[in-house]
Formats: sequence, C-alpha cells, structure tokens
Amino acid sequence: MSFLNIDSVKERTFDAIVVGSGISGGWAAKELTGKGLRTLVLERGRDVKHVTDYPTTMMQPWEFAHLGQMPKAITDANPIASRCYAFREDAAHFFVKDAEHPYVQDKPFDWIRGYQVGGKSLMWARGTQRWSDYDFDGPARDGFAIDWPIRYADIAPWYSYVERFAGISGNKDGLPQLPDGEFLPPHEMACVEKHFSEQMAKHYNNTRPVIIGRCAHLTKPQPIHLQQGRGQCQNRSLCQRGCPYGGYFSSNSSTLPWAAKTGKMTLRTDSVVHSIIFDEKKNKATGVRVIDAHTKETKDYYAKIIFVNAACLNSNLILLNSKSTRFPNGLGNDNGLLGKYIAFHNFRTTISAEHEGFTDSITEGIRPNSSYIPRFRNVFKQETDFLRGYAAGFGANRVMNVDTAGMGESLKTSLMETKYGNWRVGSHMMGETIPKETNYVALDPALTDAWGIPQLRISVAYDDNDEKMIKDFHEQMTEMLTVAGFMNIQTHDKPDKAPGLDIHEMGGVRMGKDPKTSLLNKWNQLHTCKNVFVTDGACMTSTSTQNPSLTFMAITARAADHAVKEMKKGNL
Amino acid sequence: MQRRSAIKQVAVAFGGLISLPAWASNWTPESIGAVSFLPASDEDLLGELVETIIPETNTPGAKSLKVHQFAMRMIQDCYGEPAQNALKQGLVLVDQTAQQAYTKAFTACDTPQRLEVLTQMVNASDPAAKQFVELIKNLTIQGYRNSEYFMVNQLKYNMAPGFYHGCVSVIK
Repeated sequence: MSFLNIDSVKERTFDAIVVGSGISGGWAAKELTGKGLRTLVLERGRDVKHVTDYPTTMMQPWEFAHLGQMPKAITDANPIASRCYAFREDAAHFFVKDAEHPYVQDKPFDWIRGYQVGGKSLMWARGTQRWSDYDFDGPARDGFAIDWPIRYADIAPWYSYVERFAGISGNKDGLPQLPDGEFLPPHEMACVEKHFSEQMAKHYNNTRPVIIGRCAHLTKPQPIHLQQGRGQCQNRSLCQRGCPYGGYFSSNSSTLPWAAKTGKMTLRTDSVVHSIIFDEKKNKATGVRVIDAHTKETKDYYAKIIFVNAACLNSNLILLNSKSTRFPNGLGNDNGLLGKYIAFHNFRTTISAEHEGFTDSITEGIRPNSSYIPRFRNVFKQETDFLRGYAAGFGANRVMNVDTAGMGESLKTSLMETKYGNWRVGSHMMGETIPKETNYVALDPALTDAWGIPQLRISVAYDDNDEKMIKDFHEQMTEMLTVAGFMNIQTHDKPDKAPGLDIHEMGGVRMGKDPKTSLLNKWNQLHTCKNVFVTDGACMTSTSTQNPSLTFMAITARAADHAVKEMKKGNL
Repeated sequence: MQRRSAIKQVAVAFGGLISLPAWASNWTPESIGAVSFLPASDEDLLGELVETIIPETNTPGAKSLKVHQFAMRMIQDCYGEPAQNALKQGLVLVDQTAQQAYTKAFTACDTPQRLEVLTQMVNASDPAAKQFVELIKNLTIQGYRNSEYFMVNQLKYNMAPGFYHGCVSVIK
C-alpha cells in the first residue's frame, strides 16, 4: 500500500465537512451521511466511544477517593471549570481544564467546554423544551433584537423529527408558550410539586402552569431507539459520567454511531480547526484548515459544503479567524457584526422554601429531571418594566434529618435512624437575556493558544434588564410559594456569579432576513458564503427562556436537509 | 456483588450488544488506596479517635471501616495545608489533654475517658481544640455514612433503581 502514489488531495476531499461532534455536530453528521454524503467530522478533542470510554460510569459513590469532591490542587488550578456544578470527581475528565485552553475575559465569563467526541452532549443537563411562536416572533413584537427569519411553524416538523429519534419524555400540557412534542411517557411529579401546581392553577387562574420538565430520556424506548443500541433509562441520574444504557441522548450513543453505520462518515479526532478556506475565484468556501492537536501539523480538507458546529463561541472564533482578501474581518463578516449580539440565560439566582405538610409522604427512586415553570411574564402582552421573561426549574424533595449531636454510641444510634424532615423545594431561574452589540467576542490581536490560533476575548455581562428580572423572579416566586403555604422562603442571588455557567451561550452569527443586520439566512447559510452553514448556538437571533439544545438539533436537521437539496440542484 | 449485578443489568438490557470496558471487572474495595502523610503512631491515634466518635457495637465502627483513612485523604487532598497542620497539631493536643486529665496517652484511656477528653476539647477555651474535634467528627460522620457498609446495609443504596415515584406513603 505504502508504495502506491496516493492522490493526497483526493484523499482529503469529501462531500461535506462537519466541524464539531457535539449535540448539533452529531445531528449534522447523521443527516448528511444519511442522505448519502461522504462526510468528514472534525473533533478537536479525543475520541470518546459510547460505554467503553466512560471510565466512571459504573462506580459506586464510595469508590471515589474523595466521595466526588475535587482535590484542592485541581480546583486551585482550574478556578473556571471548578465553578461548574458537574466538575466533580466522576465527570471532571470530560471538562476542559483552564490552563490548556486559555481565553481572555474582558469581563468575567465562565466558559465551560467539553473538548472530546460528543462534546457537551455527554455532560448536559438534558432539558429539551420546544421554543414557541412567542419566542420566534418575540423580537419583532418587542423590538429587542432583529426579527427571526423563521417562525415556529418552520421548525415544528423538525422538532418532531429530532424528538422521535432522540427520545424526549414529557407530558402534553397544551401550553401556547411551550408547545407539546412527540413525547415518551413523562416522569412523575412529587406530591409537593403537584400541590404547588394545583395551588398555582387555582390562585392564578391557570396563567402560571407548573409542569414536569421535558427531557432527553428514554422512559419507554421505541424501536428506533433500540435500533440505535440504546435502552431504557435506569433512573440513576449519573448522566454526566456517560450513560452505559444510552438512557439519555448524547451524540456518542445516538447520532454518531448512526452516522457511522452508513459507512459514509470519517471521524477525525485531535483535529483543531484553524479556519475555513475561502476561494476567491469560486466565491465560496472550499475546505477547512486543520491543525493536529498533538503534532501541530497543518492539513487542509476539502468539501462542497461545510457545517460549523464547534459550539457557539468557538464557531464565532473559527469564522473570525477565517480571513481572506474578500473577507478580511472573518468569513461572511461584511457588516462587521460577526461575534456580536452574544446572549445567554441568566441562571444567577435561586429560591428555596419548606413545607410543613405532606408528612406522610416521601418520594422513592431517582428522577433525572425536575418540574418546570414555563415563562409567565410578558408572554401575551408587555406587563413589566423589563423585556422578556424567565422560566424556572422547580423541584421538591423530602429531606432526611440526621441528628449529629453527641458522640460515641448515642451518635451512632442517631445516625442509624431514618428521620424525615420537612419537604424542601428549590427553584432556579432561567432568564432570557437581550442580545446586545456590546456583548461580543473578538480575536485577541496578540495572544494565541498552543496551536497558534488567536485566543478569544469575551466581553459579556448582565444588564439592567437582567437585574430587574432577578428582582421580579424573587418577588413573584416568593408570592407564589407563600400562596401555596411554604415557609422559610429564601432567595439566593449570587451577584458575583459570572455569565457563562449557564452553558447556554448563544449568538454572534445570528440568523436574520437582512444581510446588513445578520450573518445567516433562514437556512443557516452565511448570506455571503452560501455553502457554509452554522447551526449551533452561534446562529441564534434571540435566546428564549427555554433550554436551547433541542432547537439546535431541529435547526441542524432542517439546515442539513436544505443543504443537500441545494447541493443536488447544483446551487452550492 | 452490587457492582456485578449492575453490570449484568446492562448486559441483559441489550442482550449483550455492548462490549464491557476492561475496568469493569477490576474493582476491589481496596482500590481507593491507603494514604499516609502521618507517622504510623498518629494514624493509629486518628483511628482510635474516629472509633471513639462512632464505636463498634453489634455493627462495625468507624475504625474498621477505615474512616480515619478517608479523613486523612480528604484533609491531605481536598482541605489544603492549614487543615493538614490543624490535624497534626490537633493530634498532639488530644494526647496533651489526655495526659492532663488521666496522666496517660489517649490510646491508653478507656471509652468513657476518651469521650471525656473529646468533650473537654470541644468545651476548651482554645478554639483550635474545638475546631479540630469538629473537623474530625464531621469527616467521621461523612465517611461513615458514605461507606459501602453504611450505604448498602443502612441506606439500601441502589445505584440504578429504574423508577421514580413522586408520592409514596412513609412506612412507619
């Protein structure tokens, strides 16, 4: 073999290239290979094979040397990653370490990343709520961002399409601000969550629904899930370790193996994308420049269409770094807006309370999900002095009281006793933030990373709208909990908590109708470089109050369908 | 055993479709490993301390579950240097307190005397004495309640229950 004269360029030429193997990259890979395209998937990190590369997944709690707590040397060396709730002994190996991938914080921003096959789809929290027309036509109504080029009706069939394959559990609640999907059976609500829901319905005349969250778990696997080699969720709630059952959706357990089965996918790991190559004569992108993560060797790969799914901020970085004579400020960036209008979800505050009732009931088993309070502010009309609104997670648990007084045999006796305390509830706010030009990312003019790629400068902060929303969340939730008979209500705002920890960053390469005010058209194609598609969080025009991942999946499947049709028509 | 049955469940769920990773059969309770940044005599003393806090009765005490090893590892790896010094100084203080009260080492004291030494330290005017006892007591409780013995036998821990019920009557 080695004696043959191999046509190297031909070997590096594919029909399509997908940059990134996370939740949207996985979908791009599945859709493009499924439609017959020879597809190269580039992942900057190492391979993580479903099951075999989940080293902690079957470990019992007592098998961890520090019961999950991180050693001080690691938290000291990784202040950013350590602030993420899931950066623990069981899953820390899936998180980017601070020193390895530096970036510049013009303003404090905790950038949480997963550089491996599957990306953050391994460690995500799996909330999968659809967005509604109130989200897609929100900017046009409220004037807080530019108009989306699509509406709920454009994406609804694609929601159904990805839901059926990924497996989403949920209840059909019939809410206009949170459309129902193709659901597997929902998880149960706890007694006190049901109580709260009933009280809210009564006191607010059904205007403040409290429902079970919709999440990417196989509560009842369908044939399509079994065909993927996935099985029923076993209610472990250890998802961030990687699930050996494929009980929750990840690229590793679902889309990537599906794409691999077509025989059309080439997965290249340890491949850091430097830039997208633009050909001035052809007036389109012809490929991707890749730096080997270990040897630092540069290689170019070629394809007719390119999907950029590197995760929001890295997709921005790659496009900004794709400079040519035609695009001196980054690919597709004629209007200078690339990297701007970054927005996120405000997770800064929580509230907790107790209920003295329901003492004869407990919960049993484990639920990898919580209840959910869809947005109820400014949905049908503008009713507050801030724009948009917030959704909230809501969960109730019966707490075990452990009497730790005393010493010796008396202490031991009390440790052995099962004593239930009050029901405790907690709720975290997920506020929509307003995309603003002043919230942006840019390339640092001097600093580079270990691969010679400019470091990203992140300048993203809360604004007055966020502060007002936090105040409203405190007031409204306090009132709601009081109405439902809760006591010891405590709000826990963390003004020092930087944006980023929500891990819901969006924007920078936003979709829109007008090339003057947006980067992507309604099919996620760069307005000025039609064979490059951006379908991860970077494409979002506004951020809704719902979790974004399901929308990334649906938008990706829709864009891939369009891309292949256009390619077959000879338009790309 | 718990582990084996859990792995079996995985295999059953897929009819052997998936390959099991190599580490799946390699685990032993000892794999957490021993720690030793203290002299053996201090480690023995710490063992007696955790045993005083949670003693062996008709069920194992903290020492036989190696909770002192857990405490040492946490202090060594997670708590930083001030806590490591507090541990070393606290152990000296334990013996000093025992010497003052009973003119013998802590390990030579009987159970009521040992409990009295710890009580004296909690009530001492020296904040370091109180903080040391609280540190060791908290770690002992944490280590004991999260030990395999306690989680399996007392808490009936099941890693993969396969269900969730939101409203179940408390069994009196």
